Amino acid sequence: MSLRTQLFDYHEKTSNLVDFAGFRMPLWYEGIVPECLAVRNNVGMFDISHMGRVFVSGLDAEKYLNHLGTNNVAALKPNHAQYTLICNNEGGIKDDLVILKLDGKEYLVICNAGNRQKDYAWLQENSKNYDVKLSNVSDEVAMISVQGPKAISTIQKLAEIDLSTMIRFDCKYARVKGQECILSRTGYTGEDGLEICVLNVSLSDPSRALNLWNDILDAGKESGIKPCGLGSRDVLRLEAGMSLYGNDITESTNPLEARLDFVVKFEKGDFIGKESILRKKDEGIKRRRVGLRITGQGIPRSQCNILRDGKVIGATTSGTYSPILNGGIAMGYVPTEYSNLREKINIEVHRKLLEAEVVGFPFYNPKLYGFKREQ
Amino acid sequence: MKTEYDIPEGLYYTKEHEWLKVENGKCRMGITDYAQKALHEVVFVDLPKRGTKVSRMEPLGTVESVKAVSDYFAPISGEIIEVNDVLSSKPDLVNKNPYEDGWIAIIKPASLEAEAKELMNSIKYSELLKSITKK
Repeated sequence: MSLRTQLFDYHEKTSNLVDFAGFRMPLWYEGIVPECLAVRNNVGMFDISHMGRVFVSGLDAEKYLNHLGTNNVAALKPNHAQYTLICNNEGGIKDDLVILKLDGKEYLVICNAGNRQKDYAWLQENSKNYDVKLSNVSDEVAMISVQGPKAISTIQKLAEIDLSTMIRFDCKYARVKGQECILSRTGYTGEDGLEICVLNVSLSDPSRALNLWNDILDAGKESGIKPCGLGSRDVLRLEAGMSLYGNDITESTNPLEARLDFVVKFEKGDFIGKESILRKKDEGIKRRRVGLRITGQGIPRSQCNILRDGKVIGATTSGTYSPILNGGIAMGYVPTEYSNLREKINIEVHRKLLEAEVVGFPFYNPKLYGFKREQ
Repeated sequence: MKTEYDIPEGLYYTKEHEWLKVENGKCRMGITDYAQKALHEVVFVDLPKRGTKVSRMEPLGTVESVKAVSDYFAPISGEIIEVNDVLSSKPDLVNKNPYEDGWIAIIKPASLEAEAKELMNSIKYSELLKSITKK
């Protein structure tokens, strides 16, 4: 039996469904390509209620989260969020998270849907020596992500705060169409946007989440808003060069080879996995996560061999067709000596060798697309 | 969502969802309406090469959507004498018009009469689709 989110009734009537991380979720409504383009050119909205959410409070909350994660929670200002990793003792990535620091000493930890149980067990297991209170609200909070260059203007019509006061990664308690929410200026598409936690909405009485979903659809109508499924979500995050947990990063990936060093703060003090990661750093990072762009025709997929001079040197971990680039893109791991930009490699797809080259992230031109766009 | 599938009369069909149309002894082929709807949003068609000799039900290439990739097969044995190059720049023709502008290749058949018996007509193919979509 698949799990459902608070917004399932809407998805069931309007989308093609897919099983993902134990949930019955929308794969696409109108189609993956038009949904991707809505987010890149206007605005799109996603149900991300399947993700996990845990409130962490108490005197030791900061110290505790700093011990668990690789990024520096002590550097986090109130009403601001950060991307971080939690690692196992061997330095492998257990999950990637966003931690919101709310008013006072309260934090909201947001984790991947597939890691809900695993992460909560890990949070509990490591909480014993700290004065912290954990509250798993995954099933009592719905979550809607609104993304694209017109996302902020769309939500501004409904939000009871001035959104221009929020910079990227800011977060805040606020009412949206009268409903109590936590907003964060974050996302998984590379675009500007907001992730909206709708508080206190149970699965048995989801009407307030459904109402807000429909209110946002109405507010975005003149901007061409589209409901978007997991199909477009996967393409958009890959175009932005963002890792998907379970595919691009796993418990056997270390943060440095995954090129996530920007959230690993060795100088902040001890954290779980630090010694192992440092040891790997000293030994030298043998392989790296790279972006791969198909230079000819064809679409790479995940788990395809990467070859150099006919020899297998690695494998892709994600691959798709990019509508804005009109071509195939992939992510994968190659030995460090082949990880430089413009390195030519081959990807074996469906018995054929495609020509590709190593490129940087994001895959698109950041002057034309994404939150740094110049227009 | 109940979906209806277009199954024109007068064409031959395979169980792998290719269609075949006999035109003056030559055979035009493509994928069926059911196949294009199952794939949705075709973004790439890997075309066979002209002059290639093929055997019946040999994979000819792939049709790919954003999420999925599917092989397509030669409905009959023979030689590829023409391919629809337009699909290189407009792969979505397979979605828009799978039986006309979205055709994939023309095969000069080696033994059409014998092999045609192995193919389905529109009535048999529609029965196959009913049995598949009932599940």
